Amino acid sequence: MSDFTAYPPTRRIRLPRIVNYAEAPDREETEVDRAWAWVQGAFVAQGARWRALQLRPILWAVRWHQKRYAAMSDEDLRAAVRDLRILLRQRLRDQDLPVMVAGQAFALIREASGRVLGKRHYDVQILGAWAMLRGQIAEMRTGEGKTLCATLAVATVALSGRQVHVMTVNDYLAARDAEETGPLYDFLGLTRATVLEGQSGPVRQAAYLQDIVYGTNKEMAFDYLRDRAILRRAPGNLQRKVDKLVPGGGPTEPLRMRGLPFAIIDEADSVLIDEARTPLIISGAGALQGGMPDGVFIAGMDAAKGMVEGRHFTLPRGVKRVEILDAGYDYLEDLTIDRDDSFAIPVIRDHAVQQALNALYLFHLGDAYIVKDGKVQIVDENTGRTMPDRTWSDGLHQMIELKEGLEISPTNETLSRMTYQRFFRRYTRIGGMTGTAQDAAWELWTVYKLAVAKIPTNKPDIRTRAPDRVFRTADAKWRAITRRVAKLHANGQPVLIGTRSILASQEASARLTEAGLPHQVLSADQDADEAAIVAQAGLPGQITVATNMAGRGTDIKLGPGVAENGGLVVILTERHDSRRVDRQLEGRCGRQGEPGRNEAYLSLEDDLMLGPDAARARRLAYAVSLVLGTRAIGRFIRDRQRRTETLHAQSRRDLMKQDRQLGDIMAFSGQLE
Amino acid sequence: MVRALLSSDWYRVAPLKPRLRGHLEVHRQQYRGDTWFVLQDLHSGKYHRITPAANYIIALMNGRRTMHQIWEAACLRFDDDPPTQSETIKLMAQLHRSDLIASDLPPDMEEIGRRHAKQERQTMMARIKNPMALRLPLLDPDRFLGATVGLVRPLFTPVGFVLWLALVLSGVVLAVLNWDVLTQGFTDQVLAAENLLLIALAYPFVKAVHELGHGYATKVWGGEVHEIGLMFLVFIPVPYVDASASSAFDSKWRRAVVGGAGIMVETALATIALIVWLNAEPGLVRAFAFNVMLIGGVSTLLFNGNPLLRFDGYFVFSDLIEIPNLGQRSNAYVFYLIRTYLFRVKDVPDGVTAKGERKWLFTYAIAAFVYRVFISFAIALFVASKFFFIGILLALWALFNTFVQPLLKGIKYMLTSPELRQKRGKAMGLVAGALAGVAALLFSLPAPYATVAHGVVWLDQDAILRARTDGFVADVAADGTAPVMQGAPVVTLDDPILENRITILESQLREAQLRLRAILLVDQVQAQLLRDRVLLLEDQLRGLEQRRTDLVVQASADGTVVVPSAENLNGMLIRQGEVLGYVIGNDDMRLRVAIPQGLAEIVRNRTQDVQIMFQDAIGTSVPGRLVVEVPQSQDTIPSLALSTEAGGDIVLNPSGATELSTLQSVFQFEVATRDPMPVTRVGARALVKFDHGREPIGFRIYRSLRQLFLRQFRV
Repeated sequence: MSDFTAYPPTRRIRLPRIVNYAEAPDREETEVDRAWAWVQGAFVAQGARWRALQLRPILWAVRWHQKRYAAMSDEDLRAAVRDLRILLRQRLRDQDLPVMVAGQAFALIREASGRVLGKRHYDVQILGAWAMLRGQIAEMRTGEGKTLCATLAVATVALSGRQVHVMTVNDYLAARDAEETGPLYDFLGLTRATVLEGQSGPVRQAAYLQDIVYGTNKEMAFDYLRDRAILRRAPGNLQRKVDKLVPGGGPTEPLRMRGLPFAIIDEADSVLIDEARTPLIISGAGALQGGMPDGVFIAGMDAAKGMVEGRHFTLPRGVKRVEILDAGYDYLEDLTIDRDDSFAIPVIRDHAVQQALNALYLFHLGDAYIVKDGKVQIVDENTGRTMPDRTWSDGLHQMIELKEGLEISPTNETLSRMTYQRFFRRYTRIGGMTGTAQDAAWELWTVYKLAVAKIPTNKPDIRTRAPDRVFRTADAKWRAITRRVAKLHANGQPVLIGTRSILASQEASARLTEAGLPHQVLSADQDADEAAIVAQAGLPGQITVATNMAGRGTDIKLGPGVAENGGLVVILTERHDSRRVDRQLEGRCGRQGEPGRNEAYLSLEDDLMLGPDAARARRLAYAVSLVLGTRAIGRFIRDRQRRTETLHAQSRRDLMKQDRQLGDIMAFSGQLE
Repeated sequence: MVRALLSSDWYRVAPLKPRLRGHLEVHRQQYRGDTWFVLQDLHSGKYHRITPAANYIIALMNGRRTMHQIWEAACLRFDDDPPTQSETIKLMAQLHRSDLIASDLPPDMEEIGRRHAKQERQTMMARIKNPMALRLPLLDPDRFLGATVGLVRPLFTPVGFVLWLALVLSGVVLAVLNWDVLTQGFTDQVLAAENLLLIALAYPFVKAVHELGHGYATKVWGGEVHEIGLMFLVFIPVPYVDASASSAFDSKWRRAVVGGAGIMVETALATIALIVWLNAEPGLVRAFAFNVMLIGGVSTLLFNGNPLLRFDGYFVFSDLIEIPNLGQRSNAYVFYLIRTYLFRVKDVPDGVTAKGERKWLFTYAIAAFVYRVFISFAIALFVASKFFFIGILLALWALFNTFVQPLLKGIKYMLTSPELRQKRGKAMGLVAGALAGVAALLFSLPAPYATVAHGVVWLDQDAILRARTDGFVADVAADGTAPVMQGAPVVTLDDPILENRITILESQLREAQLRLRAILLVDQVQAQLLRDRVLLLEDQLRGLEQRRTDLVVQASADGTVVVPSAENLNGMLIRQGEVLGYVIGNDDMRLRVAIPQGLAEIVRNRTQDVQIMFQDAIGTSVPGRLVVEVPQSQDTIPSLALSTEAGGDIVLNPSGATELSTLQSVFQFEVATRDPMPVTRVGARALVKFDHGREPIGFRIYRSLRQLFLRQFRV
């Protein structure tokens, strides 16, 4: 743009450019660009506080405008909304709003919120919203009112004529947030909808027509993926517009979304990073009829059962993999020497046996999957929830069905696939908020070009933190936890016991029952009541056992007298795979400057210390503990955690790399989804 | 190795209905007993070798079948070893990259643009990476070659081949017969200034004919030749022709002939030139013929015909052993070996497609690497000695290409490769261990270290007996073993004329004196004249008497007198200044050793022991000691005996100030035997070994490399 057009001579209303299905184009990155982003990331990651300082002017802008709106009647305020809409559209430049204009919008929304919801935004919430509006990740402590904070950014974007997708980590939160903030949007004249699991196509289609769409990242990503499967046949915005002009042209099936305009992401680090390790896949039953006949599965399972661990295959510890040895291949070859069906074809045979071995030795009932109504249901390793409509691919699902003696279901084939990274990078702009972005700042920058701004807390943090207690055995750890909980319970303090998995939750529950302590367990089966239980967790003497995922996004409000008694005590029973998840759990207490305490009970038999990679660290730690006592070995566990973090980051980078290469290889089949 | 039959990306491929583009031709070829198909892209002139299964898949692409149908058909047809979905995807990607398939999808313009830009960038990078071989396409010779191919067609027949063979064989025979004449003054002739001009004229001619050879060979068997141009090999323009159409030929012999046509043409030319050279009168024609012979013979043997460099010989070689892409694949194979056996990475494809390839790939990779290192440094050093800056740049580039780049790749692999993820520490340890092992061998294992140089038994100027005046030898008083005192006569000369002249002068002097006495008181004027005459005569007489005493050659010092040819001397006329013999002092006789500059320092500082081996007694070494370094000019040697012309190892500078001037700087050292040497050894040559004790080889390599660069670049 030249200088002449930077300030338009006439104040015309700027209509949004007509874009058929808004998407950011795929970023063209060379090796050099990526290397540069790595270097940049190191600096950007350090600037979170500095960035928060830069946000300050918005507060002055809001104060400048707020008196005017405070004096208005409701009617006048509504009228002011109309003027504001026009102003926002006029002053919007390439997704950016000048600070004075944004301040005006914030002032109005704050005033409206105060009247409609009875909640006026704090200054820190304004800072957080401004960061999101500028396409940054706002790091805000738990309990600072992120839902309310988001309304500022969401409403401002929507008022400026852009659609907003508000993403949360689960359906409950999506529905709740949409519900709670609804009246405000109604007041502002903005339409909204919620996309939930199980909704039909037309419902979703209608939902995506609204100004504001609430939903989980998963649902939205899948809707987009579905659209892309249709759209990729007509690549490019121009092509789509041209197609529409031709009678009978345009997409063959109705699209669900209108594109990827602006996303506000709650718990941005877990959405953008933790869940980004596995790609999204839509699959359907046997659309291509290219699957293997049932006979192959049966023969493969029979052959696998005849194989001996150590002689025909090995199970390297710590890696989820079965390795067939040369003797194993020889065995299979001898086995099929006089067969002439497709199982005799080496590639098919080896593949089938490999999957059968995986099913037999790597996937365990109750852990990786459960059997319900004669069907195998996958358990999500992140959330611990069952996923009834998901299946494993490449014949693994069929092998597990065989193993459990169920009927073999038809093979599912991939219909569409996409990585989360690609999905989020296609958004025109992203703003996010989370309690724990700082640790992921580097990755957020290198992958999504998102900078983190560290928003200060409204009231000073007065949580206390006990030094880690480390035990040699898990048993000793659980006994110590039980004793500690019993003491706190007797004292009338509420306790939240954070576990790593559903199995650990069950263990905790068993121990507590044994000790005669009344408690509540949050697990996959109770997800409907999760929020209610978590909300109760702050009552005096309450004991709650929860995984890190359970009940997220729900504030734990302290019961009467609890604050004077020291607040909520969060006990970590294990370190998670990443420091951020630990911090998420720790953040459950001490909201809004309330008192709270964090304690961690660790042992050398925790999940982090298992596996062959950890074997040396474990032995070393054990030896050190004998000499120096158990206090000295906490850092071994932290070290393992750091290693796991690196490993996961590596696997995400691999995924991105694969994705890039796939784009090159698959160029002949059109654009990627 | 588990190859996954199914691919999770298949869903994108399955519904496609691709068809082949028109500019694709498929040729069936045999490689090491297996059938392969070669895809020829008529637009880009590129070739892809594919398996029969892949060929089957391609053959089924007609724009109506879906890829899934095609793949299933291929699986049925090749049920022993069905093509996996990933392989099929790879094949399609390859075809797409070369624009060989059209699909039912609308083309993605952006992607095509991106791909084009990427290809441009790659071509550019390839040029930057190899600035020593720039290509400049000039014209399309296809029509010219097509019109004239009839003229040469008879040559590309068995009869033609036999004729060629006969010609070349006769050339070889002639060359052997005339070997002496051929090699006489070879270097002088080649590097003389006027000859360089002739080479510059003959070179393009020979190379142009060479390239025509490739072109016609391709044309004769139905290939097309669409590009001829100039290539700048080390800044020397060389014509090239794109004969890649021969890749489509079914017979490996024909492919080999196309590759080797250039060499065949050149050897034939060289033979004809040899015959001309042998029969023509000296003159321009003969000189030209000599150069044609030189270029056709030598450059073919060293460069073109050498399979270790990527020139003609390489292509002929890889065609004949039926391993296409030999160079790249051999490197890949060595890398595979390292990955599999050193790092224990599982399931690495070895890239071997037929039996018997392994040993070829392995041997070739190593031989080619060594030769490439050698040749690129040789070229760089050669150029550097002429044009310093360009040479340094070339040397750095050679260094970068042969060492730094593979090293960087290796480091990158070690640090980032996903396949080492579980064992990066171990792999690093292995590499570090191997490097440490090599370093330990080089830098800590001591190895005997010595410098060997030629020396000559040498005397100082005053120990040499020279005739101080002319004369016939009358008597040889002392020789050989008997010690003499200083001043003792050694050789007595006789000069009869001298005696006579003395007698005459004495008489004349007496006469003058008498006449002076007589006239003294009478005529003062006359007396003065005579007085002068007397003085003159007295002076002359003193001179002659001095000469008379000089006739006796005396020992200049105490010691032993050696008169080498004493028995032949009697009666011989000796001119003033001629060497008659030597006086060996009571000090021991010493050897003068000339040491090249590069070795001087170590001889000076680190000599622990000296062994001397005289030339007349090779095999028995005499213990010696280093006496002193002779402070002397650094570009002469003490004696011709040390020069290459007399069997030594110091090269003389023909245009030097004296006949003893050397090309390189030389330091002189004096070495003496522990036991006194017999005097007969004067002037004898010996090999002198300076023992420097033991030193690890690494330091020595470092030192000589440093010296090489110091010397070459004079910095």
